[in-house]
Amino acid sequence: MTHLKQQPFIKYDAVNQKNHIFLLLLTGLGILALLSMLLAVGLGTVKIPPDIAYKIIAYKLFHLNIDNVMSQVSPAHMDIIWQIRLPRVILSAVVGAGLAVCGTVMQASVQNPLAEPYILGISAGASLGATFSILIGSTAGLFFGLGTAFWAFIGALGASFFVLILSGIGGRMSTVKMVLSGSIASALFIALSNLLVYISNDAEGIRSVTFWNMGSLAAAKWDNLTLPVFGVTLCCLFFLSQSRTLNTLLLGEEAAITLGINLTKVRRLYMIITALITGLIVSVCGIFGFVGLVIPHVVRGLVGSDHRRLMPGTILIGSIFLIWADVLARIILKSGELPIGIITALVGAPFFMYILFKQSFDFGSK
Amino acid sequence: MDLELKNINVTLGDKNIIQDLSLAVAKGEFVGIIGPNGSGKSTLLRTIYRIIQPNNGTIWLDGQNLKDIKLSESAKKMGVVGQFNSVNFDFTVLDMVMMGRTPHKSLLGSDTPADYAIAMESIQKVGMEKHANRSFSTLSGGEKQRIILARALTQQPQLLILDEPTNHLDIKYQLQILSIVKSLGIGVLAALHDLSLAAMYCHRLYVLKEGTVITSGVPNEILTPELVRDVYEIECDIQENPATGYLSITYYPTCRHA
Repeated sequence: MTHLKQQPFIKYDAVNQKNHIFLLLLTGLGILALLSMLLAVGLGTVKIPPDIAYKIIAYKLFHLNIDNVMSQVSPAHMDIIWQIRLPRVILSAVVGAGLAVCGTVMQASVQNPLAEPYILGISAGASLGATFSILIGSTAGLFFGLGTAFWAFIGALGASFFVLILSGIGGRMSTVKMVLSGSIASALFIALSNLLVYISNDAEGIRSVTFWNMGSLAAAKWDNLTLPVFGVTLCCLFFLSQSRTLNTLLLGEEAAITLGINLTKVRRLYMIITALITGLIVSVCGIFGFVGLVIPHVVRGLVGSDHRRLMPGTILIGSIFLIWADVLARIILKSGELPIGIITALVGAPFFMYILFKQSFDFGSK
Repeated sequence: MDLELKNINVTLGDKNIIQDLSLAVAKGEFVGIIGPNGSGKSTLLRTIYRIIQPNNGTIWLDGQNLKDIKLSESAKKMGVVGQFNSVNFDFTVLDMVMMGRTPHKSLLGSDTPADYAIAMESIQKVGMEKHANRSFSTLSGGEKQRIILARALTQQPQLLILDEPTNHLDIKYQLQILSIVKSLGIGVLAALHDLSLAAMYCHRLYVLKEGTVITSGVPNEILTPELVRDVYEIECDIQENPATGYLSITYYPTCRHA
């Protein structure tokens, strides 16, 4: 009697092949990110031919004087490329990756597809800090010349710890409590900054507060680049190592615990890290929404919910998105530049709508 | 693998849910918990699978105090099929079942062919191999339940905790799931609604009322109309079917105008 050998219903080869395709996609995205950075340096209000731009960078980095470039270029162009555009492009790549990663982690931590990095009241807290510094700190000559960035950072951290403590009162921290505490903190901190704006009679100050609340990457300099670059890189590496745990968090609190995850400890750690990184980002470039909300969903649509694929994809696509959003912010108006928050929302909102309806509210089915 | 609970008390808010409860599951034993809604079955199970801390009393898992075992260690020994399995984010069936390997994996350890083999075997055991590539959210309630069981099996546990595992299932899959679980030969502690099924599959039963064990023992010996009246406040007739040896339970309608 012969037995029909039963075919396994999924071949390990198929899984392997899926991994190969993903690696190919990842390599492609990596190349795209690098290309985007190079192209973005060449774009801006002041027209500088791309080849000159690259020659300037090559000279600055490796002291290569290609085609005797240094004698052809004006010092002004040199500064625009090296002191203004390159740090700004690097910052936008880093900030995009950071916000997208923090958004992904938040969505997993509170098991809510609508979560974003600012869910812990961070934006409202940062905004209060910045308003305080712009409207009161400067006029009173107080606080030892600590800048707006510092106070925004303090405000962001203050708000997120307020939320973490609030949601931990009365037993285990639950996701619902966390989301509600975030709303409470936002309402409270927004009211406080509105109060500051209302009682101050500083028209110029109010203008800068408004501008700050719409976000800008214009503050990028080599000096203030170090902290965001290191912070975001460490944060990305850490969360890349946490993919398995993040996956189980998506299954819900009980399931995560039965799969051996110390939910309380892990979630608190993730919240603190995302709060620090988001605070850092907000302090350098103000508040702009949608990156942390939309990018994770876009990438989920591409590669599915598994964080081992989602995380690297999110980092790269977040970078690419913000590099180009910032390019748009720089070149769309003939005079001056548009706050980047307007761009991210204008591009992000319709895109998000498209994704929602295309997937018929089905988050990351792949 | 054996499980032993000694004098467990659980308070939620200011309400005593479980009072001075002791219970044991021996290696390879299929133990059922029956009792009406609100009698503390789920709370008891959730205490065992470490969602709730008991106020006092000790839980021993394999001779070790559960308090002293890391969550990741107890997850290798104890698999759970809970009641609530809705997920906001979607995964394929295979990915979902593969998550059962989590407690066995280090931080950066990748999934090996052996892990996939274990997951696929579990999927086959619950009869879902045709649906391995479907997305979890498109499954019916009963199919989801079977996939969650497959995930628990993928943990390769020595003890399974089941909270109403046959909810949402039609009778074929109720019988199938309990048969699968029983055929594994590992320790099982299951909260069950259906008294006939409980009697059919369980080696022993614990009967819960208001957070305490009223009685326990071999189903055919302890399940009597008097017990059912006492615990569920209904009238019934219980007889051993001479052809099958299984208990057949006939309920009487409750008095409508009582």
